[in-house]
Amino acid sequence: MSIKLKALLKSPWVFHLSTGSCNNCDIEVLDCLTPRFDIERFGMLLAGSIRHADVLLVTGSANRKSVVRLKQLYEQVPKPCLVVAIGECSLSRGMFIHSYNCPVPLDKIIPVDVYIPGCPPKPEAIIAGVVKLINRVSEKAAAKK
Amino acid sequence: MALFSLFFYGFVLTAAIGLLASWIDRKVTARVQYRVGPPLLQPVVDIIKLLGKETLVPAGASKVAFLLPPVVGLSSVIAVSALLWVNNLNPAEGFLGDLIVAVYLLTIPAIAIMMGGFASRNPLASVGASREMKLLLSYELPFVLAILVPVIKAGFDIRLGAILSVQADRGVFLGSLSGFLAWVVALLCMQAKLGLVPFDIAEAETEIIGGPLIEYSGSALAVYRLMKNMLLFTLPFFLMILFMGGLRLDGIHLAYGLLKYVGLVALVTVIRNTNPRVRIDQAVRFFWGRVTVLAAVAVLLALRGW
Amino acid sequence: MDRDSVLKEVRQRLKDDILDVFDKSAKRVYIGIKPGSIRKAAQVLFKDLGARFNIASGVDTRSHMEILYHFTFDDINLLISLRVMLPKDKLEIDSLAPLFEGANWIEREMNELLGITFNGHPDMRRLLLPEEWPEGVYPLRCDYREWDKDAIRDRGV
Repeated sequence: MSIKLKALLKSPWVFHLSTGSCNNCDIEVLDCLTPRFDIERFGMLLAGSIRHADVLLVTGSANRKSVVRLKQLYEQVPKPCLVVAIGECSLSRGMFIHSYNCPVPLDKIIPVDVYIPGCPPKPEAIIAGVVKLINRVSEKAAAKK
Repeated sequence: MALFSLFFYGFVLTAAIGLLASWIDRKVTARVQYRVGPPLLQPVVDIIKLLGKETLVPAGASKVAFLLPPVVGLSSVIAVSALLWVNNLNPAEGFLGDLIVAVYLLTIPAIAIMMGGFASRNPLASVGASREMKLLLSYELPFVLAILVPVIKAGFDIRLGAILSVQADRGVFLGSLSGFLAWVVALLCMQAKLGLVPFDIAEAETEIIGGPLIEYSGSALAVYRLMKNMLLFTLPFFLMILFMGGLRLDGIHLAYGLLKYVGLVALVTVIRNTNPRVRIDQAVRFFWGRVTVLAAVAVLLALRGW
Repeated sequence: MDRDSVLKEVRQRLKDDILDVFDKSAKRVYIGIKPGSIRKAAQVLFKDLGARFNIASGVDTRSHMEILYHFTFDDINLLISLRVMLPKDKLEIDSLAPLFEGANWIEREMNELLGITFNGHPDMRRLLLPEEWPEGVYPLRCDYREWDKDAIRDRGV
């Protein structure tokens, strides 16, 4: 595995992005950053600016208005970047599947790497999902060789 | 010889000790907050990861003005670290006025952050850079006054080597009253120079999202972070040379020296963890008010001989 | 100023405009009024009796379009809702925005989501819907149908 990828997986800086959620998933994501479910032991820090981010934690079903902003933000992230979709709303729009304001699910707009179901998912589930993502990416890179 | 000392002492040794100190700081902060902290090599991995990401320059910003400040900041830190190490190892090899050169070089990292903030074409970065400018103007005054005290006590000699040899003969300056007051003033100014709470106004993460560094990504951000981590070694080392007798490498004094350095880093971490962040006007009032008065009192006491 | 005196005062001042009064509970009263007299009723409640305009809600029912204006008397814990029934072929009513600023945005929202015209509104612009939303399509109506060809509405199973 290249040293670039290895360093990326050992120090992923997360950025929290909400595209019109009810904020329950956002509260659970903030729970992960508190001392109880400490994620700094994995090297994860909360990045303030989008340009410092490696992992995007996306919540919320993408409204028509926030699709525009979401595309702009995704262009501003320095690649390589991983995208994590958290909660039912970002998997497939959840209960808003027939809503007039959410035309497409999130993975038709930006490429998503891991999906974490739940409404809202517990912080343990979010941490397990991100750890699974890291393991899967490193396995894929090792298998490619 | 100069190139070797510049590279080895200035860059490699300073970077290694600085990254280790940054890890100590993060681990102690984590432990104080009742959680497990990052593993040992985390600061190194951070910088390697940042080197692997792409560097994006904002549209409309001049490439030179955007990418030059990190390099300028890092080179000034390398230069001042090499100067301090060379003076520490052989006190007789300094030149007249190298203390003034060190003080000038130590203001350049803050100016580099300012330049980067103003070149970013982002209103939040401008706000952060202007706050950094105000902070720089406020803490330089008591810092220079506090540095006057070891100069006076070493017999009005502005060579670092002279300060070190006077302390080797007559005991560290920290033991005297004026030296202790000046050390306290220099410690507070060092906290502001390092950009740590309570004076991390310029890079307030929850208010202005990273301040001057908001548009930096990839290698430029890696250079800035390396510069900050190296400052975490250089500034306590400077304080040690001025007030605590430097780092003597013979026998038991090596252990004392390491203890002094770790103690300074621990003090910085403790202050960082027990204080909230102050506003910029409170910080300026603090530095131009009480801290300057304290430094002036220390200078007067040093002139008197205490 | 207690509950009974407030209701007596309202009935006295709005004699001809009230269609019916539904005393639901100790805290809620629904007063049905004619669409033409909404401004007078709002003036009575807001200026003369000192109520606070809370919010307005619009519902599309089978026979007519219904707007409820909620006014609260905070110190006596009473919420009076003025119910206005609009016929579906003539969705017009006087705007309350010139009276108090709190009605400005909720009338913009009702205009773009239900298609109700407010006469005399100073600034009728889009509030919530994006710019590419077509004119004349009102999402919260009963007969709203999907117009977007690119929308994906199946669950994929």
